[in-house]
Amino acid sequence: MKINVLSGKGGVGKSTVASSLASILSKKQQIIAVDCDVDTPNLGIFFGLHEQDFNKKEVKTSEKAVLIPEKCTNCKKCVDACMFSAISWENKPVFNRFLCEGCGACQLVCPENAIKLIEVKNGWVGHASARGLTVVGGQLKPGEAESGVVVMLVKQHAEKIALEQSIKTMIIDSAAGIGCPVIASITGSDYVIAVTEPTPPALTDLKRALTVVEHFGIPYGIVINKYDLNPQMTNKIEKLAVTKNVEIIGKLPYDKAFIDALVQLKPVVDHEKRFEPMFQEMLEKIPK
Amino acid sequence: MRIAITGGKGGTGKSTIATAIAVKLAQKNKVLLVDADVDCPDDHLLLSITLEKTGNVEKPFPLIDKNKCISCGKCSKVCKPNALVHITGKPPLLAEALCTGCMACQIVCPVEAITRAKRHMGKIKEGKGHGLDLLTGEMEPNEKESAAIVTDLKKIIQEKEADYDFVIIDTAAGSHCPVIIAILDCDLALAVTEPTPLGAHDLKVILETMKAIKVNGKIILNKAGIADHAEIKRIAEKYEIQLIAEIPYSKEIINKYSKGEPIEHDSINKVTDFLETIMEGTQ
Repeated sequence: MKINVLSGKGGVGKSTVASSLASILSKKQQIIAVDCDVDTPNLGIFFGLHEQDFNKKEVKTSEKAVLIPEKCTNCKKCVDACMFSAISWENKPVFNRFLCEGCGACQLVCPENAIKLIEVKNGWVGHASARGLTVVGGQLKPGEAESGVVVMLVKQHAEKIALEQSIKTMIIDSAAGIGCPVIASITGSDYVIAVTEPTPPALTDLKRALTVVEHFGIPYGIVINKYDLNPQMTNKIEKLAVTKNVEIIGKLPYDKAFIDALVQLKPVVDHEKRFEPMFQEMLEKIPK
Repeated sequence: MRIAITGGKGGTGKSTIATAIAVKLAQKNKVLLVDADVDCPDDHLLLSITLEKTGNVEKPFPLIDKNKCISCGKCSKVCKPNALVHITGKPPLLAEALCTGCMACQIVCPVEAITRAKRHMGKIKEGKGHGLDLLTGEMEPNEKESAAIVTDLKKIIQEKEADYDFVIIDTAAGSHCPVIIAILDCDLALAVTEPTPLGAHDLKVILETMKAIKVNGKIILNKAGIADHAEIKRIAEKYEIQLIAEIPYSKEIINKYSKGEPIEHDSINKVTDFLETIMEGTQ
């Protein structure tokens, strides 16, 4: 079973929920916690893992166009062919590597063979072990693109380990937003936990995220974090769940213990036992 | 002057601080606030501004003329995301979800069987309030090329920039393409962080990103007081990037946030004074 945790809005508690669920599950069975936020991977931090603890392999998933100036005849065809505004004209074509998608359209239109594509090291994927579970993750190199592709490679890496070690359960932590890395992260999941908090932005973003989950037809439940901060907004979220006929599988209080646990690099359930029933209940509400 | 508000980690307070800074600056200056978190744009909610749609963002995609296609397979060979599948003797199959709209296929088609169609993928919206203009990009759910919408926003900024003293660009969480494109060419990027191990980790990521794309940065610490921030100070020193303000964690700020009112605080004034001083220096 692959359980995906997402939220739309960032910072509402995805990794908090994912880390505690992973910790509880790992006490009864072998599990993999997969961090699909490759921009700002945080799940490992909850288990005291740092980048250097990961068994890493480099990934090269994209290319960038570069100009061979001595061959260029300033025909400008490349500028017109680029759909990503990555080539500007300053008396000669100027390539912006941060906008370049590596599609090669410029190379195809260039009559002089003055453009080549070079391979880019996009980042790494890898795994590490901590407190009885395996964390699989990756990281995009600062300034590089293609986080969706790196997410796909992280998931493939997790699948490979799952197959080798006959591991049946994965908790997948998504990035913020609803764009390409999130879509790459939720495809193939069996269940989605949508985490939100009782604020207008979080609710608006939750609705946007649920549109994506519903598009993929994945069953889901909602977790309201810090539910006691704003009872009125919590009520709105509960009403949304009723209209959508989905279950609120958990409600977490606003509690300083969440931050204390984080500072001590622990899932909150490992920091204070009193939180365990709340997360246990969430797991019980997930259809098998 | 173009300033990006970013931070890496989600929920550190990017939008809260971007809106607060923009509102404060707008008391004396002409300000354009740009919500470049096109996956989840929230600035209008934080300022209770009603937005109106002023434009569409469209993405090209290939339309294949089945009668003209000779099934040569050239298009699928150049398609890097493998969105065009070659089937012998038949026109190629397009997996639209994988297509990035680069149109390399059209370039190589020897019989002009591929034309450029357009797909709606997002909206541009605008509104006014608190003395400022708000420009927002909004991606349609189920689309994934957030970067394309941010690229369009940047083009609009370029056209409008001359009318404003300050353009404040609120970015998405993370450090991938939509964030990079939003920060690119900014005069300054403010990295908003929080005093937790996650805030510290992601601050390093965004500072590295800023270094890679050569944009100057400053740090703002939000939620000061919820935990010790020695690590944030250490990172600021290591990267030689100034920590310009500390915004405390307070119930009052949270209340204003959920009511859709801009926050006011001495620490916000510290940031806007800082920005106005730089502005005067450049004139």
